[in-house]
Amino acid sequence: MLLRFPARHPVGMAILGIALAVPLVLFTNAYNRGLLVLIVIYAVGGLSLDYIMGEMGQFSFGHAAFWGFGAYVSAKLALDLGISPWIGFLAAPAAAGLVGLLIGYIALRRTRNLELAIVTLGFGVLAWTVALRWRPVTGGPSGLRQVPPPSILGWEIRSELAYYYFALLVLLLIVFFLSRLRESRFGKAVRSIHENEDLARSVGVSATRHYVYAFSFACALVGFSGALYAHHFRFVNPNLLGLQYMFIFLIVVLVGGTGTLWGPVLGAVIFVLVSEWLRALQEYRFVIFGVVLLLVVLFMPRGVYPTVRGALGRVVERRAAARSAPGSGSGGPGETAVG
Amino acid sequence: MAALLRTTGLTKMFGGLSAVDDLDLLVDEGEIMGLIGPNGSGKTTALNLITGFIKPTRGRVTYRGADVTGVQPYDLARVGLVRTFQITTLFENLTVRENVLHAGHLNNSTSLFGALARSKKFREQSSRMEERAQRLLSLVGLGERIDTVARDLSAGEHRYLEIAIALATDPRMLLLDEPATGLNPEEAGYLMDLIRTLRDQGMTVLLVEHNMRLITNICTRITVLNFGAKIAEGTPEEIVGNEDVVTAYLGKRRGA
Repeated sequence: MLLRFPARHPVGMAILGIALAVPLVLFTNAYNRGLLVLIVIYAVGGLSLDYIMGEMGQFSFGHAAFWGFGAYVSAKLALDLGISPWIGFLAAPAAAGLVGLLIGYIALRRTRNLELAIVTLGFGVLAWTVALRWRPVTGGPSGLRQVPPPSILGWEIRSELAYYYFALLVLLLIVFFLSRLRESRFGKAVRSIHENEDLARSVGVSATRHYVYAFSFACALVGFSGALYAHHFRFVNPNLLGLQYMFIFLIVVLVGGTGTLWGPVLGAVIFVLVSEWLRALQEYRFVIFGVVLLLVVLFMPRGVYPTVRGALGRVVERRAAARSAPGSGSGGPGETAVG
Repeated sequence: MAALLRTTGLTKMFGGLSAVDDLDLLVDEGEIMGLIGPNGSGKTTALNLITGFIKPTRGRVTYRGADVTGVQPYDLARVGLVRTFQITTLFENLTVRENVLHAGHLNNSTSLFGALARSKKFREQSSRMEERAQRLLSLVGLGERIDTVARDLSAGEHRYLEIAIALATDPRMLLLDEPATGLNPEEAGYLMDLIRTLRDQGMTVLLVEHNMRLITNICTRITVLNFGAKIAEGTPEEIVGNEDVVTAYLGKRRGA
């Protein structure tokens, strides 16, 4: 059982191997390892935004606001009440999920239009303003500093390496969870609403209720990502709720590929590495990203991940076809019988 | 026979215009009831009112003796009242099999935890639903097409799949909105045979149709609408000979 899985997923195992080895071989200094943590944090944020975009077919302009909100909640609990970051990792998604539930309930009465995008835009601006102005609670423009890192048995996880491995483990669990969620009754209901709302309703799916829960879930997930950020970089400020991070999550999703599960993970890798490479350009980096986004939309409209996987799949198929039946032509994968 | 579905004084006004006007309709358990009328006579609106997609201005809908006026479509599906749509309505990007599996929501009793852990119960139920989908698709004649993406099906196959989707909910009563639209005579004939088979299996059918010839040999009774109001009701023979119906369809005979 344990051995069958790696044998069946050689590519996945290779990538996991690389992910585990990279901080030991290539990204050996603290700064570079910090980038790896950032990749994981953005990947979780991208996955949650993709749940809204890819699975629900909706859009949230307030995704960074939920992210920042989760970061503030966990930071605030740890700083003011001395609550362990481990609890914060649960409290942040719970709080973000609750706010998401409320906003979803307001905005998702009708699921076909732009209500959710507009209401979340409003929420994003509101949350950002509150973070900036409500000094006694949020610390105003400078935010909150000295957010404590999580600790295990008195040992604080300050090392980038340990934090990276912890975050990577959580990321894998989240991807696993999302892939199983798709097959569940709930996941199928969400997919059916996305495909055709009228039909979904007529076969017994309450569109509004499922979408409110699905949105709340995505908000909880990004809230968790925010908490991961807060306890690693150890500060939070109003920028976290702003449009800059909104764009980052959007780039991660669109460049990687929506509705593909691994797309946003790849998108996060690409974004962080390219953005690091273009560091000297500072804010002008986003000009480059604008161009990159445009090129991806034009030439790989489904994103980098599906395009690359499709190309790899064709190569593998051609090899297999050439090996098993030379000259007999290729049968499409859809033509195989089901067991 | 007991009345399964009944509407009383069902009325829908759009602005000053009544799309459905004081409609009394009665469908008995186990029959195939036809609802016909020229284009724009309010057939689809009546169906939308019955299935909760729009709310009536006045009047009531009762199903199995309970008032279901304005009840949401997904709650009606729960008690076995399920419709199809006039315009082809499928999960277009899913395969034929996935269409039926996704429509099996109401019969899917697995928990979220079961799906996450892929528990024995979850796997057992998944394979049960798989078998059931296979059976339904064979019944409607799509047994050979289960892995085809829905949007690649022919017009006739679209219609059969729509019926399979509706059947996946285990309906007691089917409301079919012009299911023969876009079908050639052979496909339409096959469809009518299928509807008859479903009736023989105990299902009640309300068949909305524009084409009169098609349903005169399948329905037990027919109601005719014109300008939103009922102008005739009776057996197919009575309807075919009815002067008002002929006028509504063909216009007044000159000099008559």
